[in-house]
Amino acid sequence: MTQNILQKIHSSDKSYIIYKSKKGFDLYTEFTEKKILSLKNTVHFLNKFNKKKIKLKNTDLYIGFFGYELLNNLIGVKIPKQSSNNFPKGIFYKPSKIINLNEKLIDFNKTKKNYSKFKININLKTYKKIFENFKKKIKKGETYQIKICTKYKNNSIIDPLEFFCRLSKSNLAPEAFLIKDKDYSIISCSPETLILKKGNIIETKPIAGTLKKNKTLNKKKALNFFRKNIKETKEHNMIVDMERSDLSKICLPGSVKIAKQKTVEEYKDLFHYVSLIRGKVKKNISTLDIIKAMMPGGSVIGCPKISTLNLLNNQEKENRNIYTGSFGFIKFNGDMRFNIIIRSILNYKNTSEISVASGVVVDSTAKHEFNENYIKAKALIDLFK
Amino acid sequence: MIYVIDHKDSFTHNVVHQFSLFDRVECSDFNEINKSKLNKASTIVLSPGPGSPKDYPLTTKIYKKYKGKKKIIGICLGFQQILFSEGGKIIEQNKIYHGFQSDVIVNENSKLYKKGQIFKVGRYHSLKLKEPFEAKNFDITMRCAISGSAMSIENSIDKVYGFQFHPESFLTINGNTLIKKILSA
Repeated sequence: MTQNILQKIHSSDKSYIIYKSKKGFDLYTEFTEKKILSLKNTVHFLNKFNKKKIKLKNTDLYIGFFGYELLNNLIGVKIPKQSSNNFPKGIFYKPSKIINLNEKLIDFNKTKKNYSKFKININLKTYKKIFENFKKKIKKGETYQIKICTKYKNNSIIDPLEFFCRLSKSNLAPEAFLIKDKDYSIISCSPETLILKKGNIIETKPIAGTLKKNKTLNKKKALNFFRKNIKETKEHNMIVDMERSDLSKICLPGSVKIAKQKTVEEYKDLFHYVSLIRGKVKKNISTLDIIKAMMPGGSVIGCPKISTLNLLNNQEKENRNIYTGSFGFIKFNGDMRFNIIIRSILNYKNTSEISVASGVVVDSTAKHEFNENYIKAKALIDLFK
Repeated sequence: MIYVIDHKDSFTHNVVHQFSLFDRVECSDFNEINKSKLNKASTIVLSPGPGSPKDYPLTTKIYKKYKGKKKIIGICLGFQQILFSEGGKIIEQNKIYHGFQSDVIVNENSKLYKKGQIFKVGRYHSLKLKEPFEAKNFDITMRCAISGSAMSIENSIDKVYGFQFHPESFLTINGNTLIKKILSA
């Protein structure tokens, strides 16, 4: 039944968004407003949500995304001139209809293939150079951990819903979403919740450590693997302390607690090494304060955030667009849910782009991390087969 | 009141929350210091941060101005800043500690902690103090149980203290006790 509704909306050419919910998916549509964000209007836009409203309708929210550049600019980090396809820095929609799709999505509309081959923006040789340079920066203490981003692009016209359904079938990620608008679409199987805020309680759930499932692995063995793996453990520790500190900017002293420390979560194809950190938001903290404290999400950038962002931005020649930005919603009463945009396809101007990143740590090699990046991208690239 | 000077680190607000357990805390970036508030503070905390002490001449200036007049506590980069201001050399180390938990041992020089006591602590540092290091009234009071590197300093005359590790990290057991002892010293 709901599947029919989805198909109807999809073929009607209406814009819509699908976001993973606890039970299934929520479909947001019939948008009455579309807000294209710039650095100037974002502050004004976010100030809307500070007003308390007693009676809240379920559609009293804005849903959309902040791109990476905008999130940098919000915290005063400038990005040098980069090549760009002029994709908007952020877009939010006001829905007037939300439909719960509490069942599995099925494939339909198999489309004809119309894609060119994927090309990577930096080759292994360039990657090695960047890697060695960042390694030096770690030795000097300018960054403790940094993630190099590579981008894969092809020319393609895609059916985003078909892609999303196939992706959800192979990888049902807790923060998956789809945006289909007239001039672009985003398909994502993001696993990572950056902000979950209800009332004055705020949570973040960083992931550092991913293990692909096989027949002999179970949750216990996966936990053992993560505990023994020094690289994963160090990265994870660092991110836990960083996220505690980010939350501490906006939370009451003494309220920030690690609710779950280094636990394993099991998904269809993989295990994630996850912690859950929770705090109580101070009075007089605005939505803008929260966004600035938490974004861009530290686990996909590196640490410490500001100096690491500067190192990355001076290195990268191409705009990240949505990659390592955040997607989610803000309710009119200030409650919110946001993820970190990773494992995503942006299709814009008949080009699909997939960005991935992996960490430089002193004891890893450029070749290993370069391949790691490819493995991360492959799950999405395979959708084009 | 305690004034935390932030070197734009991603751990500073853990420091702020830890010190908030004991007193009111003000915090600002190292290049946006509120001078009148800094003047009123009884204790100055130099936060962790990226890079090396020579990158922050403003903080060195503040340290020299207030040494002996206010209690000063340095953490990680802040610890190195104190040593650097006292003529110490801060150098790269072969093994890098980022996100490490290790044991540190208190030695006989400490006036605050018991000799031989072992603390489990969280570490995030690329650089370390070059030894031998000597400065008037300064003692190295804790060392890494394995490498022997300097992990804390005490100067009880001028009330200057520092940790190379991170007492505010979740990897540090009894971090609050470590800070409490310094604040009541």
